[in-house]
Amino acid sequence: MAAVQTKVKSGRTPAQRFGTGVLAVVINLILWIFSLSCIYPLVWMFYSSLKKKRQFNADIIGLPTEPTFSNYIKVLTNKDYHLGSSMVNSVRTTVLSVLLILVFGFIVGYILARVQFKFNRALYAIFLMGLLIPVHSLLVPIYVVFNKAGMANQWYTLIIPYVAFGLPIAIFLIEGFIRSIPIELEEAAAIDGSTFLHTMTTIILPVSRPILTTVAIIQSFSCWNEFSFALVLCSRNQKLQTVPLAMTNFKGQFASDYPKIMAGMLITMLPIVVLYFAFSKKIIEGMVAGAVKG
Amino acid sequence: MLKAIKPKMSTVVALLFIPVVWYVFSVFVPLITALFYSFYEWKGGPSKTFTGFANYSKLIHDATFWQSVGHNLFIVVVCIIGQVGIAFILVLMVQSRLAKCKGIHRTFGFFPSTISAVYIGLIWTMIFDYKRGILNYILRATGHGDTVKVWLNEPSKVLAFVSIPLVWQFIGYYMVILFAAIAAVDKEIFEVAELDGASAFQRAVHIVLPLIKPMILVCLTLCVSGNMKVFDHIYTMTEGGPGTASMVMALYGYKVSFEQSNMGYGSAISVGIFIISLVVIQGSRALVNYLMKDKGVE
Repeated sequence: MAAVQTKVKSGRTPAQRFGTGVLAVVINLILWIFSLSCIYPLVWMFYSSLKKKRQFNADIIGLPTEPTFSNYIKVLTNKDYHLGSSMVNSVRTTVLSVLLILVFGFIVGYILARVQFKFNRALYAIFLMGLLIPVHSLLVPIYVVFNKAGMANQWYTLIIPYVAFGLPIAIFLIEGFIRSIPIELEEAAAIDGSTFLHTMTTIILPVSRPILTTVAIIQSFSCWNEFSFALVLCSRNQKLQTVPLAMTNFKGQFASDYPKIMAGMLITMLPIVVLYFAFSKKIIEGMVAGAVKG
Repeated sequence: MLKAIKPKMSTVVALLFIPVVWYVFSVFVPLITALFYSFYEWKGGPSKTFTGFANYSKLIHDATFWQSVGHNLFIVVVCIIGQVGIAFILVLMVQSRLAKCKGIHRTFGFFPSTISAVYIGLIWTMIFDYKRGILNYILRATGHGDTVKVWLNEPSKVLAFVSIPLVWQFIGYYMVILFAAIAAVDKEIFEVAELDGASAFQRAVHIVLPLIKPMILVCLTLCVSGNMKVFDHIYTMTEGGPGTASMVMALYGYKVSFEQSNMGYGSAISVGIFIISLVVIQGSRALVNYLMKDKGVE
């Protein structure tokens, strides 16, 4: 790379070199403006949340002159805000949903990839149809069904649609991955006397770890961030709210107290932000792989 | 297919039973329910009356519904140009050897796409705010105090303003996809073109664009399906207002069903959303596949 650069540069006049220099500055400047615009709201929210409401309203951009954690303390200690319980709900819903998507997705994906039976392709098509169905058209009807069945506003309510909507992409990715595993692996195991279930759980499951990680990443973010179905299915009971739902109510309560809203947002964002900056490379790869293949 | 071990059919059925029932219950049962109730006048209570196609003829003449459909299509177009277009230009800059700190741009740029749409909506509500918003602050600070306004309160422009957060949130997402596509192209092609005297613009249009056309088309389909279902951003920022100036399909279905508790008509709207989204998304996919085949022939 360095050799190429010097070769190209040496053949240029000083004017051209100056032009390249200007171009380099412009390019880097634009890129920095873009990526800082993506991160600045987070930074702005952080230092603004350390201001008192009065100071924020007087100066919305400046750094806090007397930083205080009072907003955080108020937001966390007042039970009426349901911040703590919404975090618990989101964590529980996300963890259980992702686990079930992985278990179901792996079982169905493995069977569809490896077991020959009459309705194999039909079943695959039914699951893939889930990728075509515009999920947002189910918003109202799913409420009707869940309400009739007495399943709305329960602790487990949201897990049902989240698992169902996550399955198609999970099955699609896992089935494709398992097909790419050489079948000799399982044949050798069978000769050694391994049963179907034993082969599936002790031989194929460990090999499938990369694709299961991808599925887990995609689904963790989509379950944690999901809003519209939570709004329809769980807004009757404040104690069952997930984080995005709690935050929309939060905004209603403190319409004029931005620092407090920001403190609430940052607390509830923390798990995602920490995870993202710790594993950003893996997370970006996983989310993009899922989107492009689907 | 696995021949060596053939599991018992009962094992397979037992393993598949729960996932299949779970999935059918949450996806297909609601669809059929929507179809059923769309033929009824039903306010959500115990009584309902069969009205045949009355809800559907109402839907066809419902100006607000078609306005929402138009808004969805507007947002799709804005996001295709904004998200994929800006992402393409930025990717050209990132992949040039003049760019530094590529890893940081990637991590920072992708960050907004991992955040809940509700948060994006809240952040931008604060940016657009009249008294305490960053936008008006900047305008006042730069001496454009006369142009400050209540940004989300202008019926004719509100749709454009609520599209900005959508575009902003996903530029980094498409950048990563397109960057991967460009990285897969042999670097020598760019070097040869540069030595042959092709300008940066010529290289972008005549070399990069055709080479990553398949991936751009994939991005277009992602963009269409992602924006036909837009709901969370708009609910958080404007709830479809002022009036119905920023109403979108899913939000209209929600409002009719839950705020006017008109569940029968809401079901008909859901069926309408289903059909329109399916036609637009699958239509755009078919078009994209057709264009890709076209490329294979060349």
